[in-house]
Amino acid sequence: MTRTHDHDHDAHAAIQSSSGVNEFEVLEQAVRELAIEKGLFSAEDHRRFSEWAESIGPSGGSKLVAKAWVDPEFNARLLADGTEACKEVGIDWLDPTGVGTPSDYTYFYVLENTPTVHNVIVCTLCSCYPRPVLGMSPDWYRTPHYRRRLVRWPREVLAEFGLHFGPDVEVRVHDSNQKSRFMVMPMRPDGTEGWTEEQLAAIVTRDTMIGVAQPKADWTATSSPSAG
Amino acid sequence: MNRTFGIGDRVTVKNATSMFHTRTQAYTRGKTGVVVEFRPDWVIPEDEAWGRDTPERGGREEPFYVVRFKQKDLWPNYTGFDVDTLETEVAQRWLDPAKENAK
Repeated sequence: MTRTHDHDHDAHAAIQSSSGVNEFEVLEQAVRELAIEKGLFSAEDHRRFSEWAESIGPSGGSKLVAKAWVDPEFNARLLADGTEACKEVGIDWLDPTGVGTPSDYTYFYVLENTPTVHNVIVCTLCSCYPRPVLGMSPDWYRTPHYRRRLVRWPREVLAEFGLHFGPDVEVRVHDSNQKSRFMVMPMRPDGTEGWTEEQLAAIVTRDTMIGVAQPKADWTATSSPSAG
Repeated sequence: MNRTFGIGDRVTVKNATSMFHTRTQAYTRGKTGVVVEFRPDWVIPEDEAWGRDTPERGGREEPFYVVRFKQKDLWPNYTGFDVDTLETEVAQRWLDPAKENAK
């Protein structure tokens, strides 16, 4: 949606980066090669870690929300201590490095939507995101376009995602500028009475936990949009 | 460092400059909000940026707070509704008591 798109569409042209490497990529590579030479880890260790970290998706977050919807006591534990409650669905924010990788920090707070408060997350300074529970952030979440506009024009940005609220709903933006990471707990939609946790988890999609969408009983992230 | 603000206190973010690195957003500086939650004592980013990321390495720990701002107080001509808010975390050194109830 907001991806930069500045290359030519010549089907026969070699695929190449349009911008070259930036200084942070050079720095990362230099530090990584030094660490490998020093024997701190091997190139394969690094590849395995990257593959694992990049394969984490939003299913952990979906499980947390679904479990909280059906279990009020878990809901209370999750809101009181997000990092600790995550362990109940098998997510340890300290795994595997003991210092919070693949998240940079390990303070995790769940923001509960209510009929009068709608939460939405952003990081204006960079792209802080609760990776252990939601995986890698979507491209648009990392763009300056989203980051600077969500704090200044939240209702306009939400409207661009198809989400509208009246003056009776407080739109509360959370700018995760320091060490905490946040996830939105959306409200359970009508039409899901008696559903199992697995059924509920399927409709709790990534965007509903960022706060730019609301779950619907008839929609999952893996449904083809054309089916509706 | 002792915690000097309580939940419900109105606080104003210092309108200060940062010499090198900070995580206190320019758009909050000089703005007044209310303390809604406590955070632990953390090493301030102004030290972390220099590799002083623990007290052992010289990083200064201090209390952090979640401050809630009314959007209409943050932005001129805010186009949403009066109920809209924004929350963010602020280190104690960046906060002053709001003028209307200075201690």
